Amino acid sequence: MKISYNWLKWYIPEAPKAEKLADIVTYHLAEVESMEKKGDDTIFDINILPNRAHDLLSHQGVAREIASLLDIKYIDPTPKYKIPESKSTKLIKTIESPKCRRYMGRVIRNIKIGPSPDWVKNHLESIGQRSINNIVDATNIVMYDCGQPAHVFDLSKVKNLKLTVRNAKKGEKITLLGGVEKTLDETMMVISDDLGNALDIAGIKGGNYAELTKDTKDIILECANFNPVSVRKTAQALNIFTDARKRFENDLSPERAAYGMQELSALIFEMCPEAIFEDVVDVYPEKQKVRKLSFSVDRISSILGLKVSEKEIEEILKRYLLKYELKKGVFEIIVPPMRLDLAIEEDMAEEIGRILGYDKVKGNIPKINFKPKVNETYAKISWARNKLLADGYSEVMTYTFRDKGEVEVMQSASDKKFLRTNLTDGLKESIKLNQLNAPFLGIEKVKVFEIGTAFKKGGEEMHVAFGDKKNVTEVSLNDFCKDMPKDFSLEPRSSNLEAKFKMWSLFPFIARDIAVFVSENVKSAEVSKIIKENMGDMVIKGPELFDEFKKDGKISYAFRLVFQSYERTLTDTEVNEIMNKITDKIKAKGLAGEVVNN
Amino acid sequence: MSEYKKKKDNHHGTEHPLSVLANEVYQTFVDMGFEIVTGPELESEWYNFDVLNVPKDHPARDMQDTFWIKDKKDYVLRTHTTSVTARAFEKAGKEGKLPAAFISIGKVFRNEATDATHEMQFFQIDGAMVGENISVADMKGVLTHFYKKMLGDDVEIEFRPSFFPFTEPSIEVHAKFKGKWLEMGGSGMLHPNVLRNIGLDPAKVQGFAFGHGFDRIAMVKWGISDVRLLYQGDLRLNQI
Repeated sequence: MKISYNWLKWYIPEAPKAEKLADIVTYHLAEVESMEKKGDDTIFDINILPNRAHDLLSHQGVAREIASLLDIKYIDPTPKYKIPESKSTKLIKTIESPKCRRYMGRVIRNIKIGPSPDWVKNHLESIGQRSINNIVDATNIVMYDCGQPAHVFDLSKVKNLKLTVRNAKKGEKITLLGGVEKTLDETMMVISDDLGNALDIAGIKGGNYAELTKDTKDIILECANFNPVSVRKTAQALNIFTDARKRFENDLSPERAAYGMQELSALIFEMCPEAIFEDVVDVYPEKQKVRKLSFSVDRISSILGLKVSEKEIEEILKRYLLKYELKKGVFEIIVPPMRLDLAIEEDMAEEIGRILGYDKVKGNIPKINFKPKVNETYAKISWARNKLLADGYSEVMTYTFRDKGEVEVMQSASDKKFLRTNLTDGLKESIKLNQLNAPFLGIEKVKVFEIGTAFKKGGEEMHVAFGDKKNVTEVSLNDFCKDMPKDFSLEPRSSNLEAKFKMWSLFPFIARDIAVFVSENVKSAEVSKIIKENMGDMVIKGPELFDEFKKDGKISYAFRLVFQSYERTLTDTEVNEIMNKITDKIKAKGLAGEVVNN
Repeated sequence: MSEYKKKKDNHHGTEHPLSVLANEVYQTFVDMGFEIVTGPELESEWYNFDVLNVPKDHPARDMQDTFWIKDKKDYVLRTHTTSVTARAFEKAGKEGKLPAAFISIGKVFRNEATDATHEMQFFQIDGAMVGENISVADMKGVLTHFYKKMLGDDVEIEFRPSFFPFTEPSIEVHAKFKGKWLEMGGSGMLHPNVLRNIGLDPAKVQGFAFGHGFDRIAMVKWGISDVRLLYQGDLRLNQI
């Protein structure tokens, strides 16, 4: 979630500088994915994961957390959220679906749609949101500020001041804000008026039927709470992503609705001082229960592998304003309603661990009483690999995904939707590719193998395939390892840890051979030296002596050179020039009677 | 050209760098008392998700883009090898073989567009140790030793808070290699729900688990710039 530093500072004016704050958040709370300067503000993109989406998808949530982490002042804005005394209301709300856990509404009359005050525009624009009008902006501010999604209907469209939360009818249609039409079914939940018009897909997105217009005078505010699974399933089925969905599908405390209503009302009062407020209608069939959580100091220490004292824990609980009792090394806390993530003792180990900082935990390599067995599959793979390597085959790994096969994936980011039924097809492609590079690789004959899984209708099986351009053999790993000795064990071996990979050039290479017929007493190194001195800097491989033979007191040396550039495609002409130069130099030295280059 | 020196010996083939690395990784963990385990790539939804405390219809499932199998309901291409770890401890529990420690390197699949740092298929190292008093400190010791073995003694390891449904506490491991912090993968203490799901009693045993990127280590260690190079069948890759 995008979090504005300036917005946070409203609540935690003593916050450290943005860079320092980003570090603190990273090491004690959640990953800061990016940090961007925007005018006099800094915008953090904090990756709030599902366990903290209940309370941290909001500026207040993040500010409260930082205040407690750093033990700095948190300025609670709640006392400022005031409105004139409200009047009685005729609004009727009914919940027909058990998947709606709370529904709060309020009628406000005599508002005036217009632009938002500057601070509202700044807040929204800082986190990449667009200002629409004062009332819509107020709902968005509330969501990004306290985490509660809110919605507003034009009261003149809501027949008889009656709102019902009900399941949709199969085939029922709704046109959403923005104009897209969606077809619903009975597993989905809508808010409807007395005539049955669907005004809103519950917890996901509003419809255009009761959308505010520039002339809207009277409105109905909605702050509600819906079952997370229901919201998620509906939004997935309809393919709708909204900020409201994100908050509800991660589960939000129904207690938050009341706070949202208070903040939203106050904001609208600030924007429309003439507004007349009616009483809040609150349908809340089952109040969220107060939960207690016990954890022992010893258990926390045992999980973290770090001796944590009662005093340290007490100090943390106080900073986080958690009510607690301590009896004989066991704490019992009252879990704040928003903290749906705190349910078991291990959750408190995480709280205490991350707040203290995991750098406090010192590493230890444990000794356990466990006798590992040799894994048969891995032993076979190793044996097969060693055997094939020794037989001159080189190892490749190719793709599991193919364009045909017996097992298909449902949806794929690629056009290859089938799992391979064999390794042979991939291996043949590999042989073809490597054949082209044979001079570069310095091999006469391309021989490759792969050990991997093949997928048939009946299930998966580990296969071994090996071969060359003429023939590829594929058998099951078990068959391949028929002759493996029973006592085969993995030998420790050491690889070169200092090795470095060098990326090859993506431009074509040119291979050239040069054969030199010289008197018997001339060493190949002498010829090689002349080649090296004259071959320039485009040779990526060679000179490699690949053939020599003696005849009539003379000897023939054949060298191969591979030319390639990392920057461009080399031309035959320029390589010819180099080869001719080498030929001339060898001749000039008087070493050879005959030089053939091709 | 030094990087092709192995091919001087024409009779011996060249090994894929990931096999070279797998051997190193296994050796390091075997030396610390871990047992190597393997498991299926086509995995049931149960072992890939449910056992690991990733319920249906929970946003945590969005954390991994999953390949679902057509005409084989409730099956996926495994999104992690934590499924292998779960199977191994379920078996060890039944056989009364705890404490225990398992390590696996296996191919995993994610349904996402590919680029230089993302592949639809890649490998994961998954390890876990369960016993009476296994702790976050033990995990730190094991992983620090491991990364020093892989990337050199001057490597630093850091634990940062995170969230995974199968661990509590959840931790993201970062390694500082050549002056840069790199995200190596997720880890944490196995969630009591996971222990219960595989038949263990969280009141009696606890343990850590981690699932880290394997290709990533090879790429960082040897300077391989594009993950896709690993699966092209191109022998020019076999330089290590």
